[in-house]
Amino acid sequence: MLRFLVRRVLLVLPVLFGLLVLTFVLVRVVPNDPSASLAGQNATPQQIAEIRAKYGFDRPLIVQFGVYLKQVVQGDFGTSIQSGRPVARDIRQRLPATLELTFAALGLGIGLGVPLGVLAAVRHNRMLDHVLRFFTVGGIAIASFWFAIMLQLLFAMQLDLLPLRGRLSAIMDAPKHLTGLYLVDSLLTLRFDIFWDSLRHLILPAVTLSFGSLATITRFTRSGVLDTLQKEYVLYETAVGYPRWLMLWVYVLRNSVVATVTQVGLLFGALLAGAVVVEAVYDWPGIGSYAVFAIFTSDYKAILAVTLFVGVVYAIVNILVDVLHGVIDPRVAEQM
Amino acid sequence: MRRRALTYLGLALLVVATAVTPASTQQSIMVWGDNLPSNLDPHALYDVPSSFVQLNVYDNLYRYEGNPPQLKPWLAESYTASKDGKTWEFKLRKGVTFANGDPLVAEDVVYSFKRVMGMNKAAAGPFKAAKVASITAPDAQTVKFALEVPYAPFMSIIPVLTVVNKKQIDPQVKGDDFGFGWLSSNSAGSGAYVVDPSTYIPQKQLDLKRNAKHFAGWSHNTKPIETVKAREIAETATRVNALIKGEVDIGDSYLPTDQVERLQKEKGVVVQRNESMRIFVIRMNNSKPPFDNVNFRRCMSHAFNYEGFIDVILKKFAERNPAPIPKNLWGYPQGVKGYDFDLKKAQAECDKAKAAGAPVGREIKLHFQAQLDQTKQAGQLFQSDLKKLGLNVALITDTWPNMTTATAKPETSPDMWIHWVSAYFIDPENWIGTMYDSQFHGTWKASAYYKNAKVDELLRAARAVPDQKERARMYADAAKQVVEDAADIWVYNTVELRGVRSRVKGFKFSPVGSGNELRWMSLE
Amino acid sequence: MLVFRKFLRDVSAVIGLVIVLLTAVVALFAPWLAPKPLDAHESHPLLRLKPPSAEAPFGTDNLGRDVFSRVILGSRAALTVAVLVVSGAMLIGVPLGLVAGYRSGWVSETLMRITDVFLAVPQLILALALAQLLGPSLKNAMVALTLTYWPFFARIVYAETRRLKTSVFVEALQGLNASSFRIMFAHILPNAAPPIIVRATIGMGFTILTAAVLGFLGMGATPPDPEWGLAVSESRQYLPDAWWFATFPGLAIFLVVFGFNLLGDGLRDVIDPRLRRSR
Repeated sequence: MLRFLVRRVLLVLPVLFGLLVLTFVLVRVVPNDPSASLAGQNATPQQIAEIRAKYGFDRPLIVQFGVYLKQVVQGDFGTSIQSGRPVARDIRQRLPATLELTFAALGLGIGLGVPLGVLAAVRHNRMLDHVLRFFTVGGIAIASFWFAIMLQLLFAMQLDLLPLRGRLSAIMDAPKHLTGLYLVDSLLTLRFDIFWDSLRHLILPAVTLSFGSLATITRFTRSGVLDTLQKEYVLYETAVGYPRWLMLWVYVLRNSVVATVTQVGLLFGALLAGAVVVEAVYDWPGIGSYAVFAIFTSDYKAILAVTLFVGVVYAIVNILVDVLHGVIDPRVAEQM
Repeated sequence: MRRRALTYLGLALLVVATAVTPASTQQSIMVWGDNLPSNLDPHALYDVPSSFVQLNVYDNLYRYEGNPPQLKPWLAESYTASKDGKTWEFKLRKGVTFANGDPLVAEDVVYSFKRVMGMNKAAAGPFKAAKVASITAPDAQTVKFALEVPYAPFMSIIPVLTVVNKKQIDPQVKGDDFGFGWLSSNSAGSGAYVVDPSTYIPQKQLDLKRNAKHFAGWSHNTKPIETVKAREIAETATRVNALIKGEVDIGDSYLPTDQVERLQKEKGVVVQRNESMRIFVIRMNNSKPPFDNVNFRRCMSHAFNYEGFIDVILKKFAERNPAPIPKNLWGYPQGVKGYDFDLKKAQAECDKAKAAGAPVGREIKLHFQAQLDQTKQAGQLFQSDLKKLGLNVALITDTWPNMTTATAKPETSPDMWIHWVSAYFIDPENWIGTMYDSQFHGTWKASAYYKNAKVDELLRAARAVPDQKERARMYADAAKQVVEDAADIWVYNTVELRGVRSRVKGFKFSPVGSGNELRWMSLE
Repeated sequence: MLVFRKFLRDVSAVIGLVIVLLTAVVALFAPWLAPKPLDAHESHPLLRLKPPSAEAPFGTDNLGRDVFSRVILGSRAALTVAVLVVSGAMLIGVPLGLVAGYRSGWVSETLMRITDVFLAVPQLILALALAQLLGPSLKNAMVALTLTYWPFFARIVYAETRRLKTSVFVEALQGLNASSFRIMFAHILPNAAPPIIVRATIGMGFTILTAAVLGFLGMGATPPDPEWGLAVSESRQYLPDAWWFATFPGLAIFLVVFGFNLLGDGLRDVIDPRLRRSR
């Protein structure tokens, strides 16, 4: 198992290195000279040249890449041109918001998707199955930004049931920082008012973000369960007279989640991408809205850092999924 | 037994929960819903959002108040100017302290000025024009500026200089960053409010706490606001909704006219309308063909539907202002008609340009500001009318930081872009002076890259003459020439619209800072 | 024929096909179908933000343009983007996948590691960064989407080629001294076609969605393009009053993507029995 883990991590390293090269090359072809934007609005050509020399923009690309690599390894992603703060700090500050949102969305997706998938499998090729099929195909066809706006329109603007935006009512202070996840921190500090408030704020963004993954999870659970239902032991045990619900929700489901677990790794990427849009619409103070702003303002250090960061998170999640997969099904680990 | 224990536990939690519930709501907390500046360093930025920090967290020697804006002695009690207009001496108020308790002395003012110039960011612009030869502190209460040449608008730019605490910044300086890395998310001022750095998230949230020891005292406001929570809301409709729901107490000063009626229907919200000095300009990069052709620029000037834009889209919440000086300021060229919307005239001018060999058919890139929808509407309106002349316009989403960077060079500066020139200081110099004197090429204000020797001469002369009447004449003459040359398209002077919850009392508007000064405000 | 009949029995796949065909027809004849084709770029400030009526079934937008016409005209941008991006991505990804799968050693390793690098970050994030660097426009958005979508094809083709490489017929061809090029493109590729087609169909829907996101965030289509994502972003400021302005372009995106997904799903069932949905 350990060997498997090490091997899996080693496989990721060249990919991350490649990502470093890619992001570096991307930013180097920017038409806007970064030294011009660093120098500020009143800079003379001479000052821009000075800045270019100071930051090493005039040195050969390979040397610049070396410098960049060294900084990244040390965890130094440079300073954002806009906020004037280390990008790493900005990301650290905003990360919990994104995690809270993605975990909530994933939780919703699994919590609803698995039962729906089982239902669809049981009602295989009947009305409910067809309805759920339209729903699962439709779920990934909805543009998340539009869905977000429609939910805002209905639940926040017209019905006035839920907050429109943000992570907490402006009037509330954030709970004491323990994990950075407001729901957890507020519970740990017994601030139920904050818990309630942040829960209300979380609902619409989480529902929006979960919609696509909910559809995918439903779909894979359905086919996994269908598969298992046709295995001999199921037929045998049914014949022996196990209660049907126990069979279905315990034995069959346990044997069917493998496909779903693998999907979760892939889904995480979709969730991170989705978070960019969802956070932008709901003013969610996470990495996604940070990325959009960085891209908008050509804050190239921030763009680089976010892209790299997402790559690392994505890689870690996928390693975790593989490990989990190995735990559920040891044969997988041996094959790797 | 276990169940009862659980019940008790639940009850206990409930008690705790209710005990800690919003003590906060009883305190006076105001939620501020305007856009936040990109960072908090008062010397790094010089735009409308940053005025929120500059006015509230920092103080200046003199300060603008009211509408029309008046200069008020602030950290300085008085000033004297030498006869030749080259030496300016300010006497500081005694006993003023920074929010952290350090005394504010002349040395801090000198340091602040040197910091502004050394960082050479946006706020340095006006002072560069003033050509300050030296700044000294003869004693703790005196600051002396010596100019290379007389600069008439000197007093009007003095409020741009915000005073920071040298002692507090010194230990934070890293390399040659002037402490920017620290001051961009902290405060070191003497102002009426202090930044709470622990909750600050750039461009998302900023909390300010009242500085009870502010030098101006609080006798003018018996119920000042203790805490102000500024929350950035990216989208206009969301911002308006948040106002209606009472989630925020005040919006931004660019409230779209479409939303005015909606807000007026709401009981809890008042729409503040104030005539301002903020000109809406469609810039043309005069250095790029075909914009280097005056006939082409006139063609463009005749092709914008001013009446349609002001009367229909803006519902008349604006006043046509056809020249680069606000109508309500001295120096405005009375009697200049400017350009009217007339596609026939436009066609004739464009034909002339074409005959002269200007590449009239090429695609024109017009940049608008993503967060300010009005700039897009104007762009779209313009685009559809230019289409009738056979001119193709590509509209490009852009952002303020991006565009001000791009305008640094004539090659990267867009063909056209749309923005406002707000009242940073009250003098024609803030508009026509810094927009059309060719020495400012490379700054966003001068992004037309317009050059006319006669205008340069007039504007430079106007800077050197102390007499306002004479200056007014020179600015008016220069303005006539710039209009004649159709350097840009000047559309209107703004009526600033801002949604404010009615529980907010004491909102005091001034074109400088758009009424962002918190010390007047209280909550009912 | 059998395949065709099997497909026709799949109701939802047929619905998908009908939606896709209808969209194609609408896109082809958009300027003639739209009641006010000039509203693609012409504005009528006096008619702004009118609710749906007989005159304008989907209402009018912030510049008085007919939303119905613009939704119809927008189908062109959507389909163009989908077709160009997906074929561009195939043009890059399929040969790379073939070569990587057929060859072994460092060529294959290098190609697949490069593919992995692109797949290491969600496509949207890479495409967003790329679109901004190239400068926002619909053309650049398409370039950005193509440059970030090809790895998906490379992956599939690679896997298929690996599988087919060891099959009897390829070994026989190798025995006959057929050129590698011929084996790859004339023999392996046709056999690998089914999963490529399925991916391409679903990819069309996916690309329309992603392009709409770019348009929504201001990194894609530029005004006055009647692009749907852009329209939704323009509509936000007029909510909740002008609900029609936001609703209909979004519905159009949904419908078209839904069509492609249903079709792709149906094709998968028919062509690729290993992935049969209804087993």
